[in-house]
Amino acid sequence: MEPACRKDKPKLNSTPTRGDRARQKSAQQEHKQRQRAEIYALNKVMTELEQQQFESFCKQMQSQGE
Amino acid sequence: MTGPTSPSRTGTSSAKLSRHGRSKSTSAHCLLRCAAREESAASSPNNGARSPGEEEEKDGGVLFYVNRTGFPIEGVTWERMWSHVAVVHPEGQEMADRIRNAAYLPKHHVPSVPTFKPSMSVPDWLVSIQNYMKALQYNHTGTQFFEVKKSRPLSGLMETAREMIRESLPIKCLEAVILGIYLTNGLTSLERFPISFKTQFSGHCFHHVVLGVYCNGRYGSLGMSRRPDLMDKPLAHRTLGELVAEFESSYKRYQHTLKKVKIGLYVPHDPHVFQPIEWKHLVLNAARLGAQEMRKELEKHGRDMRMKVVCVCVCVCSSKKGQGQHEVSRYYRSHPLSSQV
Repeated sequence: MEPACRKDKPKLNSTPTRGDRARQKSAQQEHKQRQRAEIYALNKVMTELEQQQFESFCKQMQSQGE
Repeated sequence: MTGPTSPSRTGTSSAKLSRHGRSKSTSAHCLLRCAAREESAASSPNNGARSPGEEEEKDGGVLFYVNRTGFPIEGVTWERMWSHVAVVHPEGQEMADRIRNAAYLPKHHVPSVPTFKPSMSVPDWLVSIQNYMKALQYNHTGTQFFEVKKSRPLSGLMETAREMIRESLPIKCLEAVILGIYLTNGLTSLERFPISFKTQFSGHCFHHVVLGVYCNGRYGSLGMSRRPDLMDKPLAHRTLGELVAEFESSYKRYQHTLKKVKIGLYVPHDPHVFQPIEWKHLVLNAARLGAQEMRKELEKHGRDMRMKVVCVCVCVCSSKKGQGQHEVSRYYRSHPLSSQV
């Protein structure tokens, strides 16, 4: 290839920069933190549900026993 | 442990129900929800080949999901978790949306990983580990966040334990066993071995697993369960039979009948070992053995583990039945036990 052509050929830059990688990592970390917060909020609700169901079943069994 | 806990919901599409295959029995079945799926999930040969929509595992007749794609949890698994809870919870989608759309959610404290100090006694260390697992919480979401394949080499399972610590999310009973092994590695005066239970309640079978521990002539356990008396037990039981009897007594409070007990072998303390954990070195059919025979077999197994029995394969058949069914199956293989009792 002629040197002049090489200069005109557009330079492809598909390699993410260090800054891009850092931003990506930070975004991923935030995403994980949000997921974790939602999981624990959900787990609190589902734990309470399970406890309520267990208690009502125990009462049911108790009243049947009587 | 898990079981069919989900209350019926009006308005739920039949397509959704059949897809999830979820039991909509009443709370009569929800005394305990145990982890049958932990055994079936780990041993199923088709796990890896399933599409995301088919990754349900069975747990006492109730399906549950497993996150197999790491963290952050990818879209399909994430949406599936929310779809499931929207079906299970009486407030349904409203509950799910309330959490998902919340602008602010409290940040759940990341519990500090326990660190062993030479001044700590073994019982204190076990309490510290159990408190850590309790701080992670028992996972009631219906989606298991860490994939545990019981046939994996110990080294691979220890990597999963590190992931559990790194991600700090709720766990279930099988995950707790793996985590318990990881956190007790190196404490060579303490032996660890899995104890699996199969119980029955109202025609349904339930599975559960805890980490048995042995130190200085006493047995105890670490673990996680929906019920507080089916997880950790103090290092106070003089024999393995006593420990298992304690669990059986706890199960009876919930009207569960013990059907089978499987005791594994001591787990090596070297976290880089390539061999898998031995989960069922001794299998006892509690339905066929009397209480005394059970205790006798358990105490013998406890002695054998302590005596480091090598390379004997024994299969004991019941003389009563004459049908070739086994009350007791015992396989002894050489086991590189690392600690002295």
